Amino acid sequence: MVQQVMVQQVGAVISEDGAGRAKGRSSLMRSPQFSSFVILIVLLVVFAVADGNFLSPLNISNMMAFLPELGIIALGMTLLLTAGEFDLSVGAVFALAPVVVMLLVQNAGIDIGVALFAGLLLCIAIGAINGVIVTKIGISSFLVTLSMLLIVRGAALYITQGFPLKSWDQPGFFVTLLAGSFNIGAFRFYTSLWWFIGLSLLAVYVLHYAKLGNWISAIGSNRNAAVARGVPADAVKIWLFVLTSVLAGLAGMISAFRISAASPVAGTGYELEVIAMVVVGGTALTGGRGTILGTIVGALMLRAIRNGIVLVGVPGLAYNIFVGVIILAMLILHALLQKNAARS
Amino acid sequence: MMQEVLRLENLQKSFGSVRALKNASLTLKEGEVVALLGDNGAGKSTLIKAISGVFPIDRGDIYVRGKKVSIRSTREAMDLGIETIHQDTSLAPDLSIARNLFLGREPVNLKWLGVFAPLDLAKLRDAASALLKRVGISKKLDANALVSTLSGGERQSIAISRAMQFAAKVIILDEPTNNLGVEETHGVLRFVKEMRAAGHSVLLITHNIHHVFEVADRIIIMRRGEIVAEQTVADTDLLTVESLITGADLSALMKRA
Repeated sequence: MVQQVMVQQVGAVISEDGAGRAKGRSSLMRSPQFSSFVILIVLLVVFAVADGNFLSPLNISNMMAFLPELGIIALGMTLLLTAGEFDLSVGAVFALAPVVVMLLVQNAGIDIGVALFAGLLLCIAIGAINGVIVTKIGISSFLVTLSMLLIVRGAALYITQGFPLKSWDQPGFFVTLLAGSFNIGAFRFYTSLWWFIGLSLLAVYVLHYAKLGNWISAIGSNRNAAVARGVPADAVKIWLFVLTSVLAGLAGMISAFRISAASPVAGTGYELEVIAMVVVGGTALTGGRGTILGTIVGALMLRAIRNGIVLVGVPGLAYNIFVGVIILAMLILHALLQKNAARS
Repeated sequence: MMQEVLRLENLQKSFGSVRALKNASLTLKEGEVVALLGDNGAGKSTLIKAISGVFPIDRGDIYVRGKKVSIRSTREAMDLGIETIHQDTSLAPDLSIARNLFLGREPVNLKWLGVFAPLDLAKLRDAASALLKRVGISKKLDANALVSTLSGGERQSIAISRAMQFAAKVIILDEPTNNLGVEETHGVLRFVKEMRAAGHSVLLITHNIHHVFEVADRIIIMRRGEIVAEQTVADTDLLTVESLITGADLSALMKRA
């Protein structure tokens, strides 16, 4: 269902978007989202043929349960990458936010709502620190957020002494809001899927249709040009760092509620997986060119790959090899398409 | 007598112990092309950055149409009608021509949404096409084309027409013909003449003295952060200007040789 909607959206955005010199079929085929989309379909077909269970309601439900957790972070990362920066601390924030919330609830006896609010403030603070250091002091986001990764991950380990916390498992408003589940026919979906869909629509709107999206692309494409036109580049970047951190914390809470545990080592390596999703979808690592639809395709693709290669019987220890090879193949394809487009 | 548009009085700017600008004063009149010449490090860039709001000046006054103003940001300069076209840095290559033309001043619906307001895409496209037609480059260019697909000259034309579109009083061109081919260079110079004809005032920064003699009315020469000479193009010649730039008396050298 989601995929069908996306087919239509890919077509719609490509044919409208003022940022694309989309004219006719050939340039639609050349757009990075489209090639990613085709490869996603191919992958889905291959996995479905190789293993009959791949498209079973249970397996699709499983994939859809995991998808939003990384997908939500990927939306923020797409906007940040489009503005020319990235954030390596998202995986650590994914762990720290629920850990702090649960500690406040369990050890300090604070109300869950207040604790969630404190967690939100913590994420805002982490994002703001990243953003201010990157823009005002002028250190590359790679170095700043790498340091932040260590600080945040270290903090999560230290305050828990390395032990996972039992998460909030009493049903209630917040659990339903973040990790409730419902059945549609034989499919079991989590409310996190709605979060992902809603946030995706919002991100598509902001990046491709709103004034802010124009600024984000311009900043990533040529920061000096944007500043010379009066675009507040530093403020935009700081807010995008805050947004990415908050989304990472939200994803962490969703995950912690779903599995009823908050682990200080949750989300390890997520930063790279998320960046992979974003660039596989066609967003440029160097900034300026971002696509939310591509990111959704990328998120689906990485999810399907991780799920599918286990089902088709690739040994567990070997599967990162396959993931790496497929990502690399995608990037090579994008680069070749880009070259072709430039030549014509 | 043409009306005065921009007047700078005793502008000063230091970076640490380096005095990049010492007492720079100049006047720019309506419909006038003034060339700002000087060797590397003479203070030309500092001067135009001060006028375009890239950084604040330490001391001195700026008057726009006789009224004293303070320029603290690029946005304030733009609002005062001062548009600057920096060399190679004026456009975002990953955005379409239309989006570049209106960058920072996007037409939107539902203005109350602030930065989240939706772009008025139809208006954006129409206005961009109209502008391209007006400046005579619509035949070749589609307003939806990405700037990265354009040649250097086409990019300069886009940047210049953007400045014209917002009815800028003062257009500052920083090395507009750098890295351009012969034909493209002539296109840009033709543009400068058209701007003058349309009543804009142009401050032209360049290294190419031949271009200056082709389009400028007046020449201002800077050396070591100071304005050392001001000449009317009609009353001077290439050799004089060159010796003023370098500070050496070239004509004396020529005579000796």
